[in-house]
Amino acid sequence: MGTFILRRLLWLPVLLFFVSVITFALGLYGPGDPVQVMLGLHANPETVARIRQEYGLDEPFYVQYVNYVKNVLQGNFGYSLVRYRDQPVGRLIAEHLPVTVQLNLCAIVVGILIGVPLGLIAGLYRDRWIDLAVRAVVIASISLPIILLNPVLSFIFFREHIVFVPLLDRLVSIGPLLPQVAGRWEGVLSPKAILPVLIEATGVIAILTRQMRAGMIEVLSEDYIRTARAKGLRERVVIVRHAMRNALIPIVTLVGLMLGGLVAGSFLVESWFDVPGVGRIAYEALFARDYYVIMALTLLIALAYVLANLLVDLMYGFLDPRIRTMG
Amino acid sequence: MATLLEVKELRTEFHTQDGVVHAVNGVSFTLDEGETLGLVGESGCGKSVSMLSVMRLIPMPPGKIVSGQVLFQGRDLLRVDDEEIRSVRGNKIAMVFQDPMTSLNPVLTINTQISEALELHQGMTKEQARKRSIELLQMVGIPEAERRVDDYPHQFSGGMRQRAMIAMALSCSPQLLIADEPTTALDVTIQAQIIDIVKRLKRELGMAVVWITHDLGVIAGIADRINVMYAGFIVESAHVKEIFANPLHPYTLGLLGSIPRLDAALKSKLTPIEGLPPDLIALPKGCPFYDRCHYRTERCENENPPLELGAVRHSVACWNWQDVRKLRKH
Repeated sequence: MGTFILRRLLWLPVLLFFVSVITFALGLYGPGDPVQVMLGLHANPETVARIRQEYGLDEPFYVQYVNYVKNVLQGNFGYSLVRYRDQPVGRLIAEHLPVTVQLNLCAIVVGILIGVPLGLIAGLYRDRWIDLAVRAVVIASISLPIILLNPVLSFIFFREHIVFVPLLDRLVSIGPLLPQVAGRWEGVLSPKAILPVLIEATGVIAILTRQMRAGMIEVLSEDYIRTARAKGLRERVVIVRHAMRNALIPIVTLVGLMLGGLVAGSFLVESWFDVPGVGRIAYEALFARDYYVIMALTLLIALAYVLANLLVDLMYGFLDPRIRTMG
Repeated sequence: MATLLEVKELRTEFHTQDGVVHAVNGVSFTLDEGETLGLVGESGCGKSVSMLSVMRLIPMPPGKIVSGQVLFQGRDLLRVDDEEIRSVRGNKIAMVFQDPMTSLNPVLTINTQISEALELHQGMTKEQARKRSIELLQMVGIPEAERRVDDYPHQFSGGMRQRAMIAMALSCSPQLLIADEPTTALDVTIQAQIIDIVKRLKRELGMAVVWITHDLGVIAGIADRINVMYAGFIVESAHVKEIFANPLHPYTLGLLGSIPRLDAALKSKLTPIEGLPPDLIALPKGCPFYDRCHYRTERCENENPPLELGAVRHSVACWNWQDVRKLRKH
């Protein structure tokens, strides 16, 4: 087990090297220039040249890269060139990262809490109306572009709905289900966070529901489920002890891989809801060619995915005894 | 001996996209306490489905037990409520399945899987059940049972898994053990061991056994009586020696012709049964074996023969069994 983890971690620097070289080269040779963005299109070419020199942007690629790596190894991720001018990138990310991580974590938790039970029910009642309803909702939500989710969910939650209730034989007004909150971001537990969390959770719900449904259907047709029933076990025990444990193994993989995405903020959601997370910084940095911010975020995401993959492999061994003995 | 199980006119169907599959078509038989019954026939003849129907383990839908009675110790298992059928399953009637590789849950230890029946039916505590599980594993010949009881199924070989399955089935000392081709997936040497274990435990525990197989060679050494099934019907039923010495149904005759014999002349060939069994979705109105039968007459095409007594304690479903007996001699 120890050697397995060590071997995986030894690959990490290699991976980070490739990721950083490619990102660095794309930033430097790609179109756009942070100094141009900083000074505007009509800036004096001499001033541009002077500032490029000041920041060392006129050096050849390898010199810049080596300097960057040297700095990074000393914990210095460079400075923002444009929007957060001269702020250290490390501090910039440290300030904004917790917000994104909280938001994403909430979205994953909500996604698990809704997606797994939905998939379980759909799988147990395969081809019955409830399964068809769940599948329809899942397909709709996964096909709907995220850009449409915002108005749709806003409509559902923030409007008053007039519904005809046959039981009372009259129209009843419901809602708004949530108060519309404007203003600053107050953390992930405030009412303002409900909609962004839901939007980010939609994808998670769709993926987990589909996997759980498919997993349950597959597992329920296994011979060992028949064996469990032949023992006289209650259906509840058959499902919880014998079927669900097996069906949850791929769910854990999916959730583990999603954890890699914790550090990547959603550009759209964070801008719409004025969330001060890394998604917004990344968005701004990309448009301003703010090299060092882009570099640091890319490396962070790569690192997070590698660690998430490792976590998944370790959890697999914990969940599935067949893999445990091999490792 | 007292009757333990009486199956009357059992019919089971499967409703599929292609149509209704008539898997079991009015099967009737009885089983005495402590008796061993061999249920023989080729794949898809309804032998497993009829016994799964007895335990109500047919997946519904698509399966459906259309009619019939399953009297076990006087109660009709097809009509008791879910609670009651569960108290019979694994407790009074236990089942061992064909493929030990897939019939055990990969994520639960052997101990958990044997213990759960003991905790459920015998009200044992976890410690008592564990102790009993170890004894059961020793009984079926698992070495170092105390250590192996905490293993997972993948740490067991195929033969050991089938032993564990048997230990699991016998955990509550059932009155009836249904063995659904328990040796088919195993090596021949392991097959012999498994057969010996079941024979020994049957003697020790005094239970009745229904042994489902397509292998007449396996059944010869274990069964008291044999039911031969074809296309969802029982076509012949007799004592095991009688079946081998005096087969009356052309299908049974065909089955016997397709096993190798030590006393056969050198270079003599096995005689396969030509053709295929009928489509269970569209059964012929006459005898289901008509297309493949060497003894067929006009009557066979239009009327399906009932199972009737042909000799002492020997029933057969064939219009021409007397001709079969005469012609067979030559």
